[in-house]
Amino acid sequence: MDRSRREGAGWPMIDTTVLTQLLNGIILGLIYGLMAIGLTMIWSITDLPDFSQGGIYIISAYVAYWSIVLLNIPYFFAIPTGAVMGILLSVFFERIVYKPLRASGLSCLLAAIALFFLLENVAIALWTPKAKIMSVPETEVSLNLFGIVTTYHRIIILIISVLLFILVHLFIKYTKMGMAIRAVSEDKEIAGLMGINTDKIYVVTWALGGALTSVAAILISPLYAVWPGMGDLPLLKALVVVILGGFGSIIGALIGGLILGVIETFGAVYVSAAYQHGFAFIILLLTLSLRPRGLFGKR
Amino acid sequence: MEGNYFKKFFYSKTVLSIIIILIILAALPLYASSYVVYVAALALLYAMIAAGYDVLCGYTGQLSFCQGAFYGIGAYCSAILTVNYGWSFWQAMPISVLFVGLVSAIIGYPALRLRGSYFAVTTFFLAHFVYLIFLNEISLTGGPLGFRGIRPPEPIGPLSFESMTNEYLLILFSFIVIFALLRKLVNSNIGFIFKSISQDDILAESIGINTAAYKLLSFVISAIVAGYAGVLFAHFFRLLHPTTFAWYLSEMIVIMTLVGGWEP
Repeated sequence: MDRSRREGAGWPMIDTTVLTQLLNGIILGLIYGLMAIGLTMIWSITDLPDFSQGGIYIISAYVAYWSIVLLNIPYFFAIPTGAVMGILLSVFFERIVYKPLRASGLSCLLAAIALFFLLENVAIALWTPKAKIMSVPETEVSLNLFGIVTTYHRIIILIISVLLFILVHLFIKYTKMGMAIRAVSEDKEIAGLMGINTDKIYVVTWALGGALTSVAAILISPLYAVWPGMGDLPLLKALVVVILGGFGSIIGALIGGLILGVIETFGAVYVSAAYQHGFAFIILLLTLSLRPRGLFGKR
Repeated sequence: MEGNYFKKFFYSKTVLSIIIILIILAALPLYASSYVVYVAALALLYAMIAAGYDVLCGYTGQLSFCQGAFYGIGAYCSAILTVNYGWSFWQAMPISVLFVGLVSAIIGYPALRLRGSYFAVTTFFLAHFVYLIFLNEISLTGGPLGFRGIRPPEPIGPLSFESMTNEYLLILFSFIVIFALLRKLVNSNIGFIFKSISQDDILAESIGINTAAYKLLSFVISAIVAGYAGVLFAHFFRLLHPTTFAWYLSEMIVIMTLVGGWEP
């Protein structure tokens, strides 16, 4: 009895710091999850981890930044502006680059990585390597929510990304196009024989991926900064989330993203801040050796 | 018959041109400035890594993006052993190469059992993870300040490696030996097994080849070559910095191999 009480005294209380970190982790996880949805769908359809989404992440953040600074567009209209840019780039790459290379998976992968580097260097050339601050004064107001100190912006990220998850889930689950996407990811030849226009499905999938990647980038950039190297880590982590969650699974992307985001945030606070970005690698190795098909994967 | 004759002629011409190139390279320190020697040494190291990478990527058909990481692990491992623990280069070199082989086996084992692009993603992340270690383990690697004070290899008998020329010749010699060994490897039975995996790994598995083991073997071989090049790099340039081994280097090695043209 006495012993347990002593242990209890040493145990950290669940105080508001932990809850604040939990919220931060969830928000980070939602961003990874958003980016992972597009990647997981592209990956399940074409067996291609589309690294070029990392480049789209950078370019659309810059486009949003530009439209805020140069055109004085409010932040909430900059989100769709950046998303349109993301869709255009993504579909353009699908049509011009991936379609001719589709026969060979290896060339597709190389081309995707080349595009990622190309876009990163385009960002350096156009906007210099200096980090820019995308400031949104209206939403960067501190907020005390039952002791959790946060900003309105984080709450907005939470709401928008949860809404997007629900919308994408409904789209994939219940619309005709969503069913067609799922059919193509099961087997593209048979889906083609059933009268599904697979080319159109590719375009829709890539457009969806580009849009979600851009929205994720624009949502997170007021919290960090806009700079040419901003796409590296989110891309890698979204790919880990795809593997963790399982191919082609929207729920998997959401749960995987949340797990990674929370582990990363708590790891940075309680284990080592220097290796914050290393935890994802350990999760990746554990997933590959223990459950290669991911948490919600079918195959 | 005529084809055979042509082949023989071509072969002898190839041999001749290789000998001429080697003489030009070996005599480089006699007529070129030290900067040119420096660049040539770097080029030879990269050529070594790219040749090793071709075994994995070209022959076995597994795309990986972490040769720069193995290069860095080899370099830092040898530097730490020689400077912090006072080992000689000739002791540290085999241990560093073995260590690189071990790391690559640990990483490759879970990743290579899977088909598709898992492997590429894992190696891509590995390159970044290794960079993070170089950057953050300041007590071990010096972190962003770099790792200084690396000595040139100890002399073997009368052969001293204090001068840049002799060390350049060591790199050239290593390149020739490693290149010859890799040629021998890819033309052996193991090389044919590698090629069969790259052409159709399901078919290769169905005729009784343990594809996972051979993929791992080629991964470890390519890593060991990169690690050895890293060891030479550390003792030739004598200053290591994490950004040298950032993931861009890995992409550059992929591009080098691609531009040179990969087998199959």
